[in-house]
Amino acid sequence: MSTFSGDETAPFFGFLGAAAALVFSCMGAAYGTAKSGVGVASMGVMRPELVMKSIVPVVMAGVLGIYGLIIAVIISTGINPKAKSYYLFDGYAHLSSGLACGLAGLSAGMAIGIVGDAGVRANAQQPKLFVVQSRMRKECGS
Amino acid sequence: MSGVVVLGHASSWAAALVRISPYTFSAIGIAISIGVSVLGAAWGIYITGSSLIGAAIEAPRITSKNLISVIFCEAVAIYGVIVAIILQTKLESVPSSKMYDAESLRAGYAIFASGIIVGFANLVCGLCVGIIGSSCALSDAQNSTLFVKILVIEIFGSALGLFGVIVGIIMSAQATWPTK
Repeated sequence: MSTFSGDETAPFFGFLGAAAALVFSCMGAAYGTAKSGVGVASMGVMRPELVMKSIVPVVMAGVLGIYGLIIAVIISTGINPKAKSYYLFDGYAHLSSGLACGLAGLSAGMAIGIVGDAGVRANAQQPKLFVVQSRMRKECGS
Repeated sequence: MSGVVVLGHASSWAAALVRISPYTFSAIGIAISIGVSVLGAAWGIYITGSSLIGAAIEAPRITSKNLISVIFCEAVAIYGVIVAIILQTKLESVPSSKMYDAESLRAGYAIFASGIIVGFANLVCGLCVGIIGSSCALSDAQNSTLFVKILVIEIFGSALGLFGVIVGIIMSAQATWPTK
């Protein structure tokens, strides 16, 4: 019977958690930016004066990338077996936190993209919708 | 044998992972960082380029200005090359007695994760910038005041590749191998 505890491989899961946090949040941010950007460009042909106001969904999608960056840096600087022992438990915890942040960012980004695209196109036709669609996008972003 | 205690039953993942050399993970990480970044850049460039060329049939004035979208996509590939070069300078040889130590395993995993982060962040960044660049060219062809405004959106998109590079470089600082 060995006392192999597997803790040497715990950083694998920890670093993958940091990777998941950043990569999935960036996927969400990219989807949100691209989808709303296409909406803004299409809408801007008809109403160029509304373009600057309609950049709001793009900014919100960009913020998702920053969330992923923060979590990834926090996780990756927390993996230091010399300073504090790093067990498999810590590795799995970091993996799950990275996945939680990343997948939430991915879904938020997809929602922001779809609502932003529809919202900017609708706002061009009906200016009263600006507050409603900003509100909806803000809910998606949280 | 009855007096032996098993401390912490190892998961089968850990038992499998500890047998893989850290250099395998490092090499795959470095390859992914450059390969997938270039894939993202190429994807973005062909999306932008095809729209740009098509729109320029009717509005040839847009060609030189809109090449900037292609340059933004190209930058993503350059980020991948830079990080791949940085990661490969982090590789050190350790004596085979220490190759499966906890510290060298950690270094291998750090380089692997760093490569994955940079590669896939640049992939989605390249795609995003490509799609927006294509809309930028098409809307510029209709109304030239729109170019600068859509370019602002493209700049937001290209920040995603930078996030990947930042985290990749921070994580590669964790790749410390045991001294001989």
